[in-house]
This record gives sequence, C-alpha cells and structure tokens, in this order.
Amino acid sequence: MGFVFAADSDFDPQHEFLLEEWIPIHIGPLDMSVNKAVVYLWLGGMATIFVGIWLMRFGLSLRPGRRQTAGEAIYDLVQSQIAESSLPHKGLSRWFPYVASLFLFIWVLNIVGFIPLPISNDTYEVFGVNVPTLGVYAATANLSVTLALALITFLATHVEGVRHNGFVGYLKSWIPEGVPKPLLALIVPLEVISQFMRLISLSVRLFANMLAGHMLILVMLGLIFIFSSWFLIPISVLAGTVIYLFEVGIVVTIQAFVFALLSAIYIGAAIEPEH
Amino acid sequence: MELLLAQTTDAGLADLGKAIAFGVGVGLGAVGAGIGLGTIFGSMIQAVARQPELRGELTGIQWLGFALVEAVVFYALLGALLAFVLV
Repeated sequence: MGFVFAADSDFDPQHEFLLEEWIPIHIGPLDMSVNKAVVYLWLGGMATIFVGIWLMRFGLSLRPGRRQTAGEAIYDLVQSQIAESSLPHKGLSRWFPYVASLFLFIWVLNIVGFIPLPISNDTYEVFGVNVPTLGVYAATANLSVTLALALITFLATHVEGVRHNGFVGYLKSWIPEGVPKPLLALIVPLEVISQFMRLISLSVRLFANMLAGHMLILVMLGLIFIFSSWFLIPISVLAGTVIYLFEVGIVVTIQAFVFALLSAIYIGAAIEPEH
Repeated sequence: MELLLAQTTDAGLADLGKAIAFGVGVGLGAVGAGIGLGTIFGSMIQAVARQPELRGELTGIQWLGFALVEAVVFYALLGALLAFVLV
C-alpha cells in the first residue's frame, strides 16, 4: 500500500495489490518474474536467517541476556506449545526444526509486511530524484506464497504417513473404526476430500487474514480520499492505527502460530494415526 | 423509491444487487464467527477462573480455536468476493 498524497491522483485501492513485473523472466509457460511479492519474500527469508542466527547462534551463556532470553522464549513456545503436544515422540526430532522454522519464517514475513518500506510501484520526486513511495505489503498476503507453504506441509504429511505406516496401512488409517459398513461409502470420500480441504483451509486462512488486515488499514485511510474531507483525517488515522496495532500485536503472531501448530498436528496425525 | 428504480439502468441494478449480496454474505459469515469467538473466549474465562493453573495449556488450544473460527469469516469473504467478481 503506497499512499500518494497528491490531490490530482485517483484513488485506486485495488492497484496496491497489483503485481507488476519488475524483472520479467519467462521460462516456457512458467512465469518466474521478479515482482513485489518476490522481493518481499527474499527480504523475509534474509530477515528470518538473520533473526535466527542473531538470537540463537552465538554468545550463549548460562546467565542469559535479553537477546538470549528472547531466543529461548521462542524456542520454548514452539517446543512446548506446538511440537511436543502434537508430534509423536518418534517424529519429534525430525519435524521440530521444520515446524519451528515455519513459525519463525511466517512470523517474520508477516511482521515485515507491516513495516513501511520503499518497495512499491509508485514513485514521487524528492530534490529531483524519483524515490519509491513507502508502502506496506506482506508476502503472505499472496495466495501463491501461502499455498506453496501449505503444499510443503501437505507433501510432508503424506510422505511421513506412508513411511511410518506403509502405503496400505496409511490408507487404512483414513477409514474410521466402528462405523457400520453402509455408511463407509459415504464417509471415506468425505475423508479423502477433507485431506485436500486442509490444503485450502491452511493456505487461505493465512492469506485472507493478512490480505484483510492490509485491506482494512487501506480502507480506513482511503476514506479520506474517497470523501476528500479534512475532517475525516483524525478519525480515519486513529481507526487505521488501532487496526494496525491489532494486526501487529495479535494477528501476526497467532497466524504464524496456528499455521505451525496445524502443520505439526497434521504431520503428527499421519505418523501415528491412532491418536 | 419506484421513481429511482425506474431511472436505474440494468447495469446499475446489477451493481446494486452485487453490493447487497457482498454485504449480506460477509455480514452473515461474521455473525456466525462472532458467536463462535464469544463462546471460545467465554469458555476460556470460565476455565481459567475455575482452574487458574491450567492457563498455560489452555492458551494454545484457545488460539487454535480462535484461528479456526476466525477463518470462517474469510471463507465467507472469499466466497462473496468471488461472487462479486465473477457474476
């Protein structure tokens, strides 16, 4: 969302989520162009690596400082709240790193999405130099990103299920026990569909949450331009700030937490289907 | 009102219908999720009031439930958006 504070420019909210090709790369039918979402994804990836190394990789001591305490708090949160409660013991050491990095990566991507950065399609002139307008855009407010993350979990779930239970054993675990035979014809297709619905719900939840958060802030501030009234400025700036604080304080962390937790639950349920 | 409708074009009426459908769709989705969220947080308050020592364990379940319920609004939003764009 880059806000152009010029009186003559039209206000088009939908342009803020338009992905222009900045470096076009087309390989056959694949569109691998670099656009805003890709840049934000790179930035988020680098920030995640930096945060991980900075918090947990050096200068650790028995009397933890503030930096080490933060790192240990994140580690403890993922270990006690996400991994140990939902992953069975035999899958814990293999999938704890995945779940933890998923949590950290999505959290950093969401947070980066709420920091105003000069990465946008619009420019304005300062002392004769064209500078990109400050804007906020989250890589996770893009269905492709969240769908890719959900696909990794989806694949991991079924690969782990087959690896630990055998192919037939894993498929058998989809059939619920103690159900009368005639009902099975109804329940088994539902069970198969629900496996794919997980893919949709996992990706759309994160995507729609972040998109709706950005849209709400945009709409609140956009009211000024829609009604072009000076009196609206304090009200809409206040409302926008409240929504911004709600998003940064609560939604960002909860969505990362829930994505990691659901991934852990799905993988854990595939490794040990009885539970 | 009849005079207004008589002056409206077909395209205008279609836009009107779409806007109403969008609002009603998302609004009804929000009603359901609002009831669900109230139940979740109400139960959480009761649970913590009765057994404060379980707070740590319950918080994770609470937020999981929160996110699962909240997602319903976004399914409604997406459905309404699809209807708005496609129809």
